[in-house]
Amino acid sequence: MRISRIPRRAVAAGAVLAVLLPLSACGDGDEGGSTDASGKIEGKITFQTWNLKANFKPYFEGLVDEFEKKYPGTEVHWVDQPGEGYADKISADAAAGTLPDVVNVSPDLVAPLAKAGIAMDLDKAAGKYEKEYLPGAWKSHQIPGTEGTYAFPWYLNTGPLFYNKRLFKDAGLDADKPPKTYDQLFDDALKLAKKSDGKVATLANVPTIEDFGRYGVPLMDKEGTGFSFNDAKGVELLTKYKELYDAKALDGQALTATPESTGKKFLTEAVAMNPGSALDLEKFKKDAPTLYKNIGITPQISSTGKDNMYVMGVMVNARTKQTPAAVAFAHFVTDAQHQMEFAKKVAIFPSTQGSLDDPYFTKQDGKEETRVRVAAAKSIKTAVNYTPVLFSEQMKVELRNAVARALQGKESPKEALDNAVKNCDRLLKTS
Amino acid sequence: MKSPTATKAASSDISTAGPAPKGLRPDGRGGRRIRRQLPTSPWLFAAPGLVIVAVFILYPFLSTLNNAFTDKRTLIPGEYVGLANFRELLHDDMFWIGLRNSTLYVLVVVPALVLLPLLLAMLVQKHIPGITFFRSAFYTPVVASIVVVGLIWVWMLDERGLVNAVLEAVGVGKVGFLSDQWLLLFSAMAVTVWKGLGYYMIIYLAALANVPRELHEAAAVDGAGAVRRFFSVTVPAVRSTMVLVGALSSVAAFKVFSEVYLMAGPTGGPAGEDTTLVMLVQRVGTGLTGRVGYASAISVVVFVVTVALMLLVLRADRKEDA
Repeated sequence: MRISRIPRRAVAAGAVLAVLLPLSACGDGDEGGSTDASGKIEGKITFQTWNLKANFKPYFEGLVDEFEKKYPGTEVHWVDQPGEGYADKISADAAAGTLPDVVNVSPDLVAPLAKAGIAMDLDKAAGKYEKEYLPGAWKSHQIPGTEGTYAFPWYLNTGPLFYNKRLFKDAGLDADKPPKTYDQLFDDALKLAKKSDGKVATLANVPTIEDFGRYGVPLMDKEGTGFSFNDAKGVELLTKYKELYDAKALDGQALTATPESTGKKFLTEAVAMNPGSALDLEKFKKDAPTLYKNIGITPQISSTGKDNMYVMGVMVNARTKQTPAAVAFAHFVTDAQHQMEFAKKVAIFPSTQGSLDDPYFTKQDGKEETRVRVAAAKSIKTAVNYTPVLFSEQMKVELRNAVARALQGKESPKEALDNAVKNCDRLLKTS
Repeated sequence: MKSPTATKAASSDISTAGPAPKGLRPDGRGGRRIRRQLPTSPWLFAAPGLVIVAVFILYPFLSTLNNAFTDKRTLIPGEYVGLANFRELLHDDMFWIGLRNSTLYVLVVVPALVLLPLLLAMLVQKHIPGITFFRSAFYTPVVASIVVVGLIWVWMLDERGLVNAVLEAVGVGKVGFLSDQWLLLFSAMAVTVWKGLGYYMIIYLAALANVPRELHEAAAVDGAGAVRRFFSVTVPAVRSTMVLVGALSSVAAFKVFSEVYLMAGPTGGPAGEDTTLVMLVQRVGTGLTGRVGYASAISVVVFVVTVALMLLVLRADRKEDA
């Protein structure tokens, strides 16, 4: 064929189309697998976790080896992604059709994937395993408005609240009786701010959706069609926080704070209370020995009597070509034995039936870490995941901005929450 | 008898010198073929570059334009919605906040980045001992990572940071650089100027090197002082460079993201009041529930404004020339 006979424009157009057409197919994905997990467990699958390689590499490598040994003919490729931008990484992979077969997710991440048909319905594919897990944990990956369960529950977490006993004593408060409810917290915070002439704040972060939940505010209707945190109770909570902000009982930089910045403020004794986990004790001991000497540990502030619980799950990609192997591996990672092994390596709590009755979670040995663990394990039995699964990152920003407007006095708490609910409902409809 | 000329011509005739090379036939058809193939060759050489441009610039640009007229979301292809996204923009408070902040950024940062690096370049232009150290020092922020720069300034401007410690020591008291909406935005602008000074200083140094020394000397002989010489000699001589710096810095300022994001946090400052347009694109269009169509519409607005800014600056330059 003689190139010279082909019009140059046609050659150029062909070249551009040759490049662009394959790209335009991105996102179509492969409709792939089925929910039938009954076949032979074999083949190569990919397993993606979220910021776990740095600290738990031997555990996960052992887990993969054990699975491959148990099911000859299987091969698991483990990839670990950084925590920063994890949702963006998943969304890019999901849109490009390259999402791994088994993925570590939280309920708010699994919700859009389930709606888009990318998360496998485990009620259909692995319903027989449901009884192995705590009922609340299994339900945590059910999405209002859809039928099915879209991830195996993995570990649960809750955290105590740390407080600085010295700052409490200096303010004339009883350091052995830290606040337990929001009303007590508000009283103590105002006293602490007054006594320190506004130099010591009690909290460094604005209220989040979990705070509204723990205060007893109804967050969303049962059908998942609209938010309701602008009710009278929600307005009351925000009004109280405004009082704290005006009295400097809430840190001046709370409106732009991140978990990292609030942790630093607690470490430098600029604020008196901060949420954390048993892992933080080691950090205090190493980085802030003076603070460690005065550290107090108390359950989360809650006016409902139930703590907030964070849930982690393991999802199976609905488009996997190795459904039996992917479902088997996701179950393997989250079964009672492996959750227990993982719990002993890190301060998390298993979501499997009976695991929390293990002496590891019930017997005291005099160590502070054990005291925290036993107390947290006790509270987790009744804890609630207050973050609605349909509450996206964009919605969190809407609430946070509304809270900031109310605290600055630009809008009344009622106006701010009404606007936040209106915007969140609009986002809900378009998500 | 053949003339010597004819013999020379015959000996140089390729038809008598063995078989002709492929493509160079004595009937001349081969020559035409070479000429006809030549236009294809440059395209082949340019192909790798064109492919890169097509994949990484043309396709994303056309895709963004296309998406701006759809309700595409991260995991859902969406449908064409005409101008609905642009109509929604008109009623979106956050869009107007973003537009206000990005415009303000241009208005404050661009004049500073046009003038200050010129003054700095004039200072370090002089050949005095140790001047290389100062040139390098002023250029260091340019090569530093913006994340590192952002973190350093956050630590410095924190309520318990170095700047507030100094202000407290001199009796001014603490200033909420990172908690007040406007102070936060102006702090981010200061960081942008600080980081950009060295870059534009180098451009000005090159321009100043081309200003004839005789002009300054003549002006000095005529009794012009330093200020007069600056406005009458230096500024006209580097005017085209100032236009270039103005154009580059105005586009960069309108598209600012990193400095504000690092200092104001992912929410864009208190109540999102420090959000810029590019931050809004990132917030709205990313994540599993990202509204790609709506974010693309904002991107189109950013594109149109930046092109308009460039045209405005270049038009002003042309007017000056006329």
